[in-house]
Amino acid sequence: MNKDVVSGAILIAVSGIYYAWSNQIAESTLSDEVGAAGLPHVLAILLAILGALLIVRALLASAARTASASGSDDDDHNNAGLPRAIGFLLLGALYVFILPFTGYITGVALLIAAVAIYEGAPRNWTVPVAAIGGGLLYWAIFVKLLGVHQPAGTIFQGLLP
Amino acid sequence: MTTFWDILHLLTATPLVFVAIGGLTWGILGGALPGISASITMALVLPFTYTMDPAQAIALLACVYIGAEYGGSIPAILIRTPGTNSSAATVIDGYELNRQGRAGEALGISLMSGVIGSLFGLAMLILLTEPLSWLALAFTPASYFGLGILGLSVIASMSGGSLIKGLAAAIVGLMIATVGTDPISGVTRFTLDIPDLLSGIDPVLVMVGLFALTELMSQSGSSNTKLLNETIKIKLPSFAMMNRLRRSQAIGCVLGLFEGLTPGGGGSIAAFMSYNEAKRWSKTPELFGKGSEEGVAAPETANNTVASTALIPLLSFGIPSSNSTAVLLGGLLMHGLIPGPRLFEQSAQVIDSIYVGSFIAIIAQIGVGIIILPACIWLVNRPRPYRTGFIFALILSGIFTLNNSLFDLGIALGLGLVGYLMRLTRFPVLPMILGVVLGHMVESSYRRSLVLSGGDHVIFLQDPIGVCLLGIALIFVGFSLRREFRDARKTKLKEASS
Repeated sequence: MNKDVVSGAILIAVSGIYYAWSNQIAESTLSDEVGAAGLPHVLAILLAILGALLIVRALLASAARTASASGSDDDDHNNAGLPRAIGFLLLGALYVFILPFTGYITGVALLIAAVAIYEGAPRNWTVPVAAIGGGLLYWAIFVKLLGVHQPAGTIFQGLLP
Repeated sequence: MTTFWDILHLLTATPLVFVAIGGLTWGILGGALPGISASITMALVLPFTYTMDPAQAIALLACVYIGAEYGGSIPAILIRTPGTNSSAATVIDGYELNRQGRAGEALGISLMSGVIGSLFGLAMLILLTEPLSWLALAFTPASYFGLGILGLSVIASMSGGSLIKGLAAAIVGLMIATVGTDPISGVTRFTLDIPDLLSGIDPVLVMVGLFALTELMSQSGSSNTKLLNETIKIKLPSFAMMNRLRRSQAIGCVLGLFEGLTPGGGGSIAAFMSYNEAKRWSKTPELFGKGSEEGVAAPETANNTVASTALIPLLSFGIPSSNSTAVLLGGLLMHGLIPGPRLFEQSAQVIDSIYVGSFIAIIAQIGVGIIILPACIWLVNRPRPYRTGFIFALILSGIFTLNNSLFDLGIALGLGLVGYLMRLTRFPVLPMILGVVLGHMVESSYRRSLVLSGGDHVIFLQDPIGVCLLGIALIFVGFSLRREFRDARKTKLKEASS
């Protein structure tokens, strides 16, 4: 299906959810004439209109060039990277999940190693060396130099500074 | 009013010198990495500025911008891959010069032209910004509303060929800006009872998510194996060469000024326009495309000029005219500095630091540019899997620095996915960022105006500044609509003829 049609449908769905959600905003005695829900209502309606316009435009355009196949090839090529990109993002999500347990140095080292392997680094001694070096480097920069409190981790609590 | 002694103090203040040179160095390194644009380089460093003194933080970001514009030309000349979008025009003759064994010369021309462009841009920034800010005294909430709308009108020229998508992205950005506490009544909106959301979604998270994370996701799996020659050294141009380049550099300065002031202009357009005009006015146009020194000087002067002149509408009116200035705007907001006229009244120190820090960075660029070249080459030549891993870890560490919050990391990752999907479906991300950044100002000034007028919308037509700003916004949108219709008609005619 045409990407713009799907995008338009998603925009309409988002606007509907947002509108319904904005109806739940509490009234305040301090509120002005517009109110806390005023702008959200307007935004939801505008987004729905734009979503509908996008669908109409996409349908009109596809009707005008039904014979052309070049666009779909391009779309397929773009979509091919989506699973890979999501996989990459999941590594970040995994880092967020394990950080409270592993602590900062181990967490960063695991993240660097995982990303490097995911991106095609040869599986040899370089990966753990780079990962541990990276973890220590960032720990030195963030924790020691900038004084940022990064999670110490529950696994190694008491072992690391 | 800034006095000579204030400037002298800032010039001799050690931390600002460190900040300027540090920012410049980071900017050159980031700009030299293909795929990492000036805005991404700035977004990467943004979380680190959170704990800094506001004046130094903003100066740092401005210096990163200056450095990134030069850094982008290094891979453009050496491996025919522009480090930043605005150095794309430099590829044409820069790489040709490299093929002729004159890479060091091309890098020297790029460096010196960048310095000239940056100095000219800085002079214009100092000359034009403060007079424009005098309008500040007359600003009312209705004027601020007009200002916010003018800022949002930039969307029309940055929608990448689809105004509908640009507007939709902006509205989603405005929706994100409504999360948190209502600016007038104080009630909470869309917070899901999560305490982390009470103060809203930090624009920095949106920028890092949409720019940096999206870029890393897009690059995932790609294989760029072009390596830089590690023996190259910069050769600064002689006086005679500089004299020969003066015309093309002047063209770059003028067009860089024009494009920096124009919302949606940006370094890329300025660079290509300058390249064209330099060729038109050159005594040796036949050399363009075959290794012309002027073909390197003109675009590099232009994009470096833009790095300074793009700050004029940002600092005077709070209008970000490019991705990079949008990140700078995010930096200002992060430090509670309201962009626009009040900045000059209440935070003169910040403005002075930008001026002085930029000046230090521009002058230091000659030395740092030469010294740092081997480091840039080393960095670009690192295997991409490790480079990606280190950048990803840097981004996530930086985000955590903002509020020591894992929740922020989740939001940024989520926005990275949104940005990637937007890229897939060809939705521009800048309008969304503008929506997030300007949303609060537009809503609060609109509602405050209505409170003052007792709910009468006529107040927006009674304020002369507000009317002017809304009028300019209308003109921008009108021109963009005209261009979009014209482009659509051209495409239709082309399809019909083929």
